[in-house]
Amino acid sequence: MSFDVKNITYRYAENSKNILEDVSFSVQEGAVTAVVGPSGSGKTTLINILSGVIPTLMPDGVLSGSFDVAQNISVSVVSQTPENQLFGYGVEDAIAFGMENMGLDSETMHERMEYVLDLFNIQHLRNRSVAKLSGGQRQAVCIASVLAMQPDVLIMDEPVSSLDPNGKKLVQTILAQLRASGQTTIIVDNNLEWSAGIVEHVVGLKEGKVVFDGTKEEFFSDHEVQENLGVTLPQEVLIYHKIKHAFPGMNMFYNIPDARKEISRFVEKREREYTAEKEEIEPILTTESLKQTFADGFNALIDINSSFAKGKVTAILGQNGSGKTTLVKHLNGLIKPTSGRVLYLGNDIRGKSVAEISKDIILVFQHPEHMIFEQTVKDELSFCAKAQGIGVDEAEIEKILKDYELFDDREELPANLSMGKKHVLTILSVLFSSADVIILDEPTLGMDWELKGKLENIISYLIEKGKTVIMISHEFALVFKVCDRMLVLNNGVQRFEGSREELLADRAVFEDLNLPMPAVVQLSREFGFEKIACNLDDFLTEILKAAGKEQA
Amino acid sequence: MGGFLQYSPRESYMHNLDPRTKFVFFLVMALLTSIIRSGVALTFILVVFIVLWCACGIGEYLGILLSKLKALIIFISLVWLILGMFEINETGSAFLDIVVARQSWNFMGNTLSFSFELYDIYKCYVLSIRVYLMVASFYTVILTTNFSEIILGLNKWRMPNAVSFGIGLVFQIIPMIISEFFAIMEAQSSRGLEIEKCKAWQKMKNYVTVSFPLLFRVLAKGHAISLAMYYYKLNFKQSRTAYKAIKASGKDITFALLTVISAAGAIVLNILFNIGA
Repeated sequence: MSFDVKNITYRYAENSKNILEDVSFSVQEGAVTAVVGPSGSGKTTLINILSGVIPTLMPDGVLSGSFDVAQNISVSVVSQTPENQLFGYGVEDAIAFGMENMGLDSETMHERMEYVLDLFNIQHLRNRSVAKLSGGQRQAVCIASVLAMQPDVLIMDEPVSSLDPNGKKLVQTILAQLRASGQTTIIVDNNLEWSAGIVEHVVGLKEGKVVFDGTKEEFFSDHEVQENLGVTLPQEVLIYHKIKHAFPGMNMFYNIPDARKEISRFVEKREREYTAEKEEIEPILTTESLKQTFADGFNALIDINSSFAKGKVTAILGQNGSGKTTLVKHLNGLIKPTSGRVLYLGNDIRGKSVAEISKDIILVFQHPEHMIFEQTVKDELSFCAKAQGIGVDEAEIEKILKDYELFDDREELPANLSMGKKHVLTILSVLFSSADVIILDEPTLGMDWELKGKLENIISYLIEKGKTVIMISHEFALVFKVCDRMLVLNNGVQRFEGSREELLADRAVFEDLNLPMPAVVQLSREFGFEKIACNLDDFLTEILKAAGKEQA
Repeated sequence: MGGFLQYSPRESYMHNLDPRTKFVFFLVMALLTSIIRSGVALTFILVVFIVLWCACGIGEYLGILLSKLKALIIFISLVWLILGMFEINETGSAFLDIVVARQSWNFMGNTLSFSFELYDIYKCYVLSIRVYLMVASFYTVILTTNFSEIILGLNKWRMPNAVSFGIGLVFQIIPMIISEFFAIMEAQSSRGLEIEKCKAWQKMKNYVTVSFPLLFRVLAKGHAISLAMYYYKLNFKQSRTAYKAIKASGKDITFALLTVISAAGAIVLNILFNIGA
């Protein structure tokens, strides 16, 4: 049996342009289907139509075509922000909410409660407050609450977009359990990095039209369509596309075990010990015995002694709750330390207001909605400069708007931009500030593959201008590609500080903290390449050397 | 510890009561504090509150509540003190009728009197304590009852679903909005908006301008919540069932008895020491 989407065309008003145009595809019962596409491709509108929000709650648009499901078939959605979808104080309250609305009897509710708690292995959370859960646990409870209603089709909208590595792993496990239990699931996400092993069917949307409809294998083999849709893929797939021409006959792979198997057909594994010398740096920002103990006695930071190198990109890594955001809020004075101090160019920042510090050290927050302030995109771009009383060159603003494809939106209300574009805009707004140190907290949130490329350009531009960049990120492929130095935190304790090469030589850090190493690093190390590759180009160079081939 | 006007999770006698018992307590105390005029009776109710909160392990919130209401209490007290000083009071109590200062002037043919008696201070005390107790009785419920229990309790009282859910939702959303506001203030000051070292009017202006992104965040959250309600098939026209059952226990009976005894004591004291303010 399948659920058929037939020739759906939709526009929000009679005279507006079509958001979806003749969209048709089938969702196989019991399978996991991924709907991918760049920002503005119509994914959210499609979710609203499949779930019935359009036309029930939004009746004003013009809809034609159909989602062929029987009257008694139910469709439910898990949104990307579980906080907005969990009603109730405790985990049990939140899971029971939908069942209570359906008017189920007590016995049925208790049976289903036990079923979902067991299925997702979250029995230990049942008496906890929702507010005390980690991001991944909240998303797990959110999925459980929807699943307890026993929907025939479950739609998950970017379920891991704001999760740390452990949270992603938890949702990944849950998705695998859903597939094993025969639940029909649609994942709407332009990031297939985490779900590649589980997804079976891929539908690609661009500008409201279906441009791809096929199996996962077909999708991963077609590099052109992946690039066209801007999908974030597992790095293994990118490695395959990078090296396949040098190794004719190599089969497609999209996970580490398959990559290992395929590469070993062409390259012999070698044992190699990696070492790196301690790098001397010129610090711009230093923390001395920094300690933060919150009012409830929780030690958020314990004796942090770190130095951020001038003109370099430093990544702060660690699981959620390790103290990353707390640390950067000390660096710009938002949080005053319990003890210890922060020095900028050797001077203590104490006594200065956050706005005064922002002239030297600026922090771009994780959620762009917290930062967006002005009435137009153009004004937003110059906000920091204006707040700091710095003159802005109109021509330069125009150039930046054009370079980052925001020129057509220059008079638009920033809140109306897509999440990824909003994030790019808030990051771009620091270009005109006087700050030497730019801190980016999770800058890739909501960005697709193309926007992540733009972020790389912005970081390079900042470094060219002599700025120092500090970045918190869970995107390890990006981190290893663009960062020179790393600071790793674990439960508020500084676990590592040094250059990228020093971290690569210290395998224990990633293993101890359960942090995922990028595929290029992992495979370089396993095959004993002369140098550990941190990006695809280096990986190609190294594998060719290892295979005794010359680079074309 | 939760923030102000938020549920504080812990295992206490009060936390384990049926929410309906706490609603009754709130109604009784709110009614008593608004009708009782005697300072002695109100002091008695204050003592009941102090004992109750300390016994239930939420004693530290007495101070928090006082610090939050400090400005309001001082303002009300000053207003009443100033108004009272232009009125000659005679209560019949030898102590309260003691005159600290009294003066009369003739102004354009009218006699103006300034009369500062101990009663004026007493009146300020009674009004302050009344404000504190009214908020405290509401706060007792909020501190010890989470919004799921509030909805459940109101539903058990056959309150329409839409009303009980709406009330519960307000208590879920208030902390969300507060944390959003602080996040926006932090984000804007990080980008150079001065909110620490500036004049009061500039600070106020900045706070007002911050309401713009806050408005967008609240609207976005409201939209997301309404979608979520749809996904969860919330329909106020249909009857809901409850996963958890609430049932009054011996603890509720004991607590209700204590409430009745305290209320009776306060009424008796109000009659015995009937000096109104």
